[in-house]
Amino acid sequence: MIRRKLAILLTAAIIMLPVLTSCSSSQTSAPAETKTETEEPQAAEPATTDKILKIASSDNPATLDPQKTSEYYREPLNIYDRLVEAVTVDGKPELVPGLAESWEVSQDGLVYTFHLAKDVKFHNGEVFTADDVLFTIDRMMNPNTAAMNTDFFDMIKGATEVFEGKAEHVEGVKAVDDNTVEITLEEPFAPFIANIATPGCSILNREATEAAGDQFGIDTSATVGTGPFKVDSWSVNEEVVLVANKDYFKGAPQIDGYTVKIIPDAETQRMMFESGELDVFDTSEARTQVPYFKSNPDYKDNIISAPEAGLYFYAFNNSMEPYSNLKVRQALQMAVDRQTILDTMYDGEGMVLNTFLPESVLGHNSDAKEIEYNPEKAKELLAEAGYPNGFEMEIIQVSDSATTLEMNEVVQSMMSQIGVNVKITQVDEATYYAMRKAGEIPVYRSSWWADYNDPDNFYYTFFSEKNAVVRSTCYNNPDVFAGLNEARTMVDPDARLKYYQEMDNIIINEDAAILPMFQMNKIFVVSDRVKEFHIAWNGWSDMSFYDVVIEN
Amino acid sequence: MAKYFFKRILIAVPVLIGVAFITFMMLNVVPGDPITVMMREHVKPDVIENLRKTMHLDDPAIIRFLRFLGDALRGNFGISYKLSRPVTDLIVQAFPVTIKLASTAAIISWIIGIPIGIISAIRQSTIIDQMFMGFALFGVSMPVFLIGLLGQYTFSYKLGWLPVSGFESWKQLVMPALVLGWNSAGTIARLTRSNLLEAMKNDYIRTARAKGLKETGVVVGHALKNSLLPVITIMAIQIASLLSGSVITESIFGIPGIGRLSVDAIQGRDMPLLQGSVVFATALIIFGNICADMLYSLVDPRIRVE
Repeated sequence: MIRRKLAILLTAAIIMLPVLTSCSSSQTSAPAETKTETEEPQAAEPATTDKILKIASSDNPATLDPQKTSEYYREPLNIYDRLVEAVTVDGKPELVPGLAESWEVSQDGLVYTFHLAKDVKFHNGEVFTADDVLFTIDRMMNPNTAAMNTDFFDMIKGATEVFEGKAEHVEGVKAVDDNTVEITLEEPFAPFIANIATPGCSILNREATEAAGDQFGIDTSATVGTGPFKVDSWSVNEEVVLVANKDYFKGAPQIDGYTVKIIPDAETQRMMFESGELDVFDTSEARTQVPYFKSNPDYKDNIISAPEAGLYFYAFNNSMEPYSNLKVRQALQMAVDRQTILDTMYDGEGMVLNTFLPESVLGHNSDAKEIEYNPEKAKELLAEAGYPNGFEMEIIQVSDSATTLEMNEVVQSMMSQIGVNVKITQVDEATYYAMRKAGEIPVYRSSWWADYNDPDNFYYTFFSEKNAVVRSTCYNNPDVFAGLNEARTMVDPDARLKYYQEMDNIIINEDAAILPMFQMNKIFVVSDRVKEFHIAWNGWSDMSFYDVVIEN
Repeated sequence: MAKYFFKRILIAVPVLIGVAFITFMMLNVVPGDPITVMMREHVKPDVIENLRKTMHLDDPAIIRFLRFLGDALRGNFGISYKLSRPVTDLIVQAFPVTIKLASTAAIISWIIGIPIGIISAIRQSTIIDQMFMGFALFGVSMPVFLIGLLGQYTFSYKLGWLPVSGFESWKQLVMPALVLGWNSAGTIARLTRSNLLEAMKNDYIRTARAKGLKETGVVVGHALKNSLLPVITIMAIQIASLLSGSVITESIFGIPGIGRLSVDAIQGRDMPLLQGSVVFATALIIFGNICADMLYSLVDPRIRVE
């Protein structure tokens, strides 16, 4: 009897063992990276004397390697520099010198000569030279790198050959000397300078990157750049810690570093911000909170906002019935009261757009013909198109986006007024992107933010022959296809931008290919101690924290 | 006895392979591939094609499964598509976190559930019983995410007693564990109560009472011991429900455990990571059941004899 009781106790103890030891084991089996802070401050009484900016992100970065991601750019923007940087100067986006102090372009727009900054050091102590630029471009185009941003360099002469495995080095990139790089393009590409200012074109160090192999961007000690912050540690689903690079060539940052907490839930993020566990709250994931912060006396002076270089739109599949009918598309454009949606859903924080270009992007036409809200006329157009009683319309969206659903439901009710019966289908992310890539989505709502400040980044992405199907616009206008290719090579900037405005008129008005909705304001709420928080020129959540100051 | 458990462990191997196979095939049937999800808005056909090649995604599904199986048997679960790290490392890092959360939650559920069940049984049909059973029903029916958010709102946001999220200190552990344990506490309370009531109808209870034992002695010494058998079973099943509950709890409270890894893996079509997590969770549940069987045979000698 006693033996049996003992055995029960023993077995119970074995089962409970992980519980009893879990406190210590979680310490020892913690990620390999060394942590600088051994003890996290008790969050209920947050430490306010440090100069570490605390932010949150809903997702882990996939990697810190700027070439292998097409969307996790926050860390790349802070760890690395680009030859040219895109910043906001006096409220306007500008391209300013980065690792290149100056540059010249040949008359024919084919040869770019960059004069590089001297005495710039990578975080590992290596001096930055022209060879690193060569390496960066070769690495991106090498198919074995499995890079995602090859399209930012593929206009360079010989780049495609490397990508196709026919060459080792990109022919068009030459190091004239240690501080001069000459880049020759296949054919003129007007937005080239703007294009290389994107975070995907960050400059890497040959020695460190080659030594790190596929651990570059994953192993924090091997991931080095020239930028104002160095990676310190990264625990998956927990946090990424960056510290200031005191030797930064433009001068050390004002803060000691920044920490990104990985918090998937936007509501949790907000509560953490309000209880002082975070310094910054990005309202992008929780737009409905904006009125609350605006009306709250504790926060209304801590709101930082700027227009985004991005827009929301409804895309119609131009090759699918009934959207292949021009009159149907025109009717759908007229059926949506965009101003009301902007006012009610987003507190009026933005601007209705009648073109596919946001205001701050080069070539924006503020005199574009207005897309009127006119349900009566929309009904007539539908009748003329042969749908006097409307039709069934399917909007496809990802299942975990409450804001998309909300807008889709408003549009659903607006469409019902012209007799169009909207069915909203929710699918998971992978399904959604797979359908879209195959050109199979009838109607969807999406958004696009500028990677670089040029109309090419908008029109080519959605309406070119190369991209129309994968974006499910399935737009098919050979004149525009040719025009978009031609505009890339035009050297005269004024004529070029005008040409884009003409094409915009064809796409949006004559063809009614898509319904631009509005651009919005990027809104952050920051804690009292955060100053000099400047929103990125394009309004991305991913931004540089170089300017930020913390006053305790 | 030892032979029996050895057999049980052997049977677990084909079960694990089967589970891995089903998961793999299910992910292959649903549309969408990991690269398209990784690139989201930035869809670039030539890049996608190159990535598919370098990641061997263009091989037939069965070849990929066999490759996975071969590697897995050697302890290598591959590299996560999305996080570019070895799956084994990711699981090893996340596991202690989930165990800490789930076991604290389990203890909480026993501490709350068993006494409530006992008291309700003794005071059957009184107002106390009805209150407790109402409470248990509430526990069983409340979804984890709702209690989680309500808890955060009340104790962190309004009262400021506990941190909103995180997992470093005991203060941060309290709320998620309570939220996760709450649900099971309801189940355990109801089960304990009904079993105890059942046991109280037996002849040996009448005998015990006839001996002149106090009611507490009757309940604790005689009825309880016999009524806890099914509760042990439920504890093993609890591992599964705690694991699945941790998926939501971990997301709400920002806890870096297995649950969050699995959700990310499903959404990102991250097959190596999902395979790894599923195989791991299955192994854990099988282990839990074997342990329950062992406990069972210890508590009830009749089972051992059979």
